[in-house]
Amino acid sequence: MTNSSKKRGLLTISFKLNQEDYTMEINSDERLLDLIRNRLGLIGTKESCGGGECGACTIIMNGLAVNSCIIPAARADGAEIITIEGLSKGMEDELHPLQKSFLEKGAVQCGYCTPGMLLSAKAFLDQNSGREVSREDIKEAISGNICRCTGYQKIVEAIYSYALERKGNN
Amino acid sequence: MNYTNLGKDTPILDGLEKVTGRARFVPDLKVEGMLYGKVLRSPYPHARLLKIDTSKAERVSGVKGIITGNNVSQHRFGTMVPDWVILPRDKVRFHGDEIAAVAANSEEAAAEAASLIKVEYEELPAVYDPELAMAEDAPQLYEDKENNIAVTFNVHTGNVDDALAKADLVFEETYETNQVYQAHMEPMGALVVPGDYERLIMWLSTQVPSMSRLRYAEALEMCSEDLRIIKPHVGGGFGAKFEYKSHILAAVLTRKTGLPVRMVNCREEDFRAGNPRVPMKIWVKLGLKKDGTLLAKDTKIIAGNGARTVYAPAITSTACYRIDSLYKFQNVRSTGYTVYTNTIPTSCFRGFGNAQMHFAMESALDTICHQNNLDPIEIRKLNGVTPGFTSIHGWEINSCALKECLEKATQESDWYEKKKEADQKGPVKKGIGVAICNHVSGNRPFYKPFDGSSSLVRLTPEGKAIVFTGEADIGQGMNTTFALIAAEAVGLNVKDVRTAAVDTDISPFGLGSFATRGTTIGGRAVYEAAINLKKQLIEHVARVYEKQAEEIKINNGKIYFAGNEEPLPVAEAMQQISYTLGGTSLVGHGVFVPNTVLPDENKYGNVSPAYPFACHIAEVEVDTETGKIRLLNYWAVHDVGRVLNKQTLEGQIEGGVMMGAGWVLGEDMVLKDGALVNPNFHDYCLPTAMDIPRGKIYSYFMESDDPNGPFGAKGIGEPSLNPVPAAIANAVFDAVGVRITDLPITPEKILAGLDI
Ligand code: FES
Ligand code: FES
Repeated sequence: MTNSSKKRGLLTISFKLNQEDYTMEINSDERLLDLIRNRLGLIGTKESCGGGECGACTIIMNGLAVNSCIIPAARADGAEIITIEGLSKGMEDELHPLQKSFLEKGAVQCGYCTPGMLLSAKAFLDQNSGREVSREDIKEAISGNICRCTGYQKIVEAIYSYALERKGNN
Repeated sequence: MNYTNLGKDTPILDGLEKVTGRARFVPDLKVEGMLYGKVLRSPYPHARLLKIDTSKAERVSGVKGIITGNNVSQHRFGTMVPDWVILPRDKVRFHGDEIAAVAANSEEAAAEAASLIKVEYEELPAVYDPELAMAEDAPQLYEDKENNIAVTFNVHTGNVDDALAKADLVFEETYETNQVYQAHMEPMGALVVPGDYERLIMWLSTQVPSMSRLRYAEALEMCSEDLRIIKPHVGGGFGAKFEYKSHILAAVLTRKTGLPVRMVNCREEDFRAGNPRVPMKIWVKLGLKKDGTLLAKDTKIIAGNGARTVYAPAITSTACYRIDSLYKFQNVRSTGYTVYTNTIPTSCFRGFGNAQMHFAMESALDTICHQNNLDPIEIRKLNGVTPGFTSIHGWEINSCALKECLEKATQESDWYEKKKEADQKGPVKKGIGVAICNHVSGNRPFYKPFDGSSSLVRLTPEGKAIVFTGEADIGQGMNTTFALIAAEAVGLNVKDVRTAAVDTDISPFGLGSFATRGTTIGGRAVYEAAINLKKQLIEHVARVYEKQAEEIKINNGKIYFAGNEEPLPVAEAMQQISYTLGGTSLVGHGVFVPNTVLPDENKYGNVSPAYPFACHIAEVEVDTETGKIRLLNYWAVHDVGRVLNKQTLEGQIEGGVMMGAGWVLGEDMVLKDGALVNPNFHDYCLPTAMDIPRGKIYSYFMESDDPNGPFGAKGIGEPSLNPVPAAIANAVFDAVGVRITDLPITPEKILAGLDI
């Protein structure tokens, strides 16, 4: 007789996600991506390769863009996390300027890579808030995020134009 | 002509849900009680199935249903050749072939059960190379398919042997195009839910909702009306997302368990059992006059079908003869064999065979020019088709701005200056290359029974319009294009128009997104529906407001009367009209049946209502020490008939160019003993943002105003890729003098070429 639920260690973790506090019981082998998608129902974080090779599942954790498909949920203990749902809130809230820029510049086609792409861009720009960034910097920053539709050019432009605008506002 | 909505940069209308992460794709769909499906796939490329034992798997807790060849119907069906069964009882034919499918209440339980199914195999000799598979003593995949040939295509028009004998120049070369993967970011998947009246509701990630319904009805031995297909957001298709085995398996499991089943490929499965590009070996012989006039083309193609037929035979025939209508050929002969091998079934991938043949033809022309001191731009102008020309196969070229595309690309890229550049010092050499292309906007022989599309446009009492079409937006922005067409045709503002998701219970039949047909054929049907709606609207406005129909004009959401009368908002008028009609909406119905002609036995016909053209110029840099190639700039000039949405057109071009660049510069599905050795994004290298041209991809549009397309528009999806492999290969040759005739062009091949 076999049983699908192998013995797994249960852990309790606490974290902040999109400004809200959570305490949850998790399995030690649970992926952070599954916690976000399946247990919290936040489907904006996508799975595409499941192996840390495409960036579709990118979230921001403690200020860094990371692939949630290869991070154990246990690592979220004490962490501060932002998912795409945290970039703007609800359907009434104003979009983050990066989201607006993606929309206006045509940086979105099918949209499957878009949440991950936006979060990689945001983490990168936040880390370089005092600095001028070039298109080459941007290309490097999003090089872990695969987009099969756009050929990247409009994505780079969308991020670059927001970076310029932000600098102008400072 | 002044348009209110067209010719601008219109951001896609469903962009908001995509940037906020609210857009739902199949893997995001969940319903109460849903089971997870998992497929057991063959670990052998060719093996007889001796015994399948599911007893252990059935005891895994959470398992609700298991199907194998022993408990499903064995009738044959298929897309082009009836070589599909739901699950096989006799043998498996490729590494990854479906053996069984499990439905369980968790992904873990489904995976565990699948791993516990015990299968006894008798390994059989296998064959992977299509050319070897045609040999007399090659292992045979199907008893009734001699020499493993699924389909043979033949065409001979004019007299090729005569023309070759008379030619001043005869050129002969062999080209090879490899197998590559579409790599849509959303893997293939389905959610099947039991519906009322014993129907099945299938949420599919598909580019062909209506055609899938017909095919799945055949597979499931159901009436197609008892299948309801709904297409949510789709994360890219590029040709891969046609009829798919796992969709059928999910449906069978739903019928067996009475419960919803979601089946989504993991990335490795999507690689191992997707529908990758048809690999081809292409022999080309060309005869020309001294001045470069093309006299004859002789081609033989051996194409890999994989272990069962999806659409490879149609792709092979396209490779054999579509390019004959790019140039003014008088004599052409082509034979194409689509051959079974013990490998992944192959199918459509942006370019549909025309891309493979363009690599061969456009590379060949480049070599001919180089060897005979001919100008690669002029030879294309000399031979390229022109407006009003009827090609050797009867294709009627209505609109055609091929010559203008060549001129614009030459001028913008500074072609002649760059060609003059003297010997370059240092190890890094620059080069520039050109290629042109044709394509179709709809392909008459693809679905034999009929051609065309239909649409409904509904105007609500609030003055909003909803477009219903069966043609599928798979992320390329079709829904926005349809809304733009409807808005312009009625006289609305596009912000008041949206396109409904395809749902076969509601949407009209639509063949789907392939053959670059969406804008021209689907869009023309939307246009007709919108014009019909406008006529009704004007009649009702005339009735309710007591005006003459002839003096009513509608533009940008307002109704104008003769004289200086204040314009009336459509929303206000519609409210009044609906009050007089029991609260109804107005519904415009439109049908477009193109004047295409199904090719006869001599392949004479006219396959498309409109033919798009393009000229691409690539500028590259090749490091002679490492063999590495880098894109510097790329100029893509397209005859799109009419620019409906500049932003999405550019998006298609930039995406198509990078997809083509990924193919030429390294993408490759590597098989070892029939097993794919690189089924992941780590070993199968897709282009990243670091690979885009150091300068820019420049897009330009020529508006040739096609008489059949809506507002004159032709398609863009596939022509954006067709010329890319040859343009880059030709640029590489220009840079370092190395001619690569087999894709991909790797640094190793460059270094080996430099060594000679
Ligand atoms: S899904 Fe996580 S990196 Fe691809
Ligand atoms: S928009 Fe489709 S993968 Fe990026």
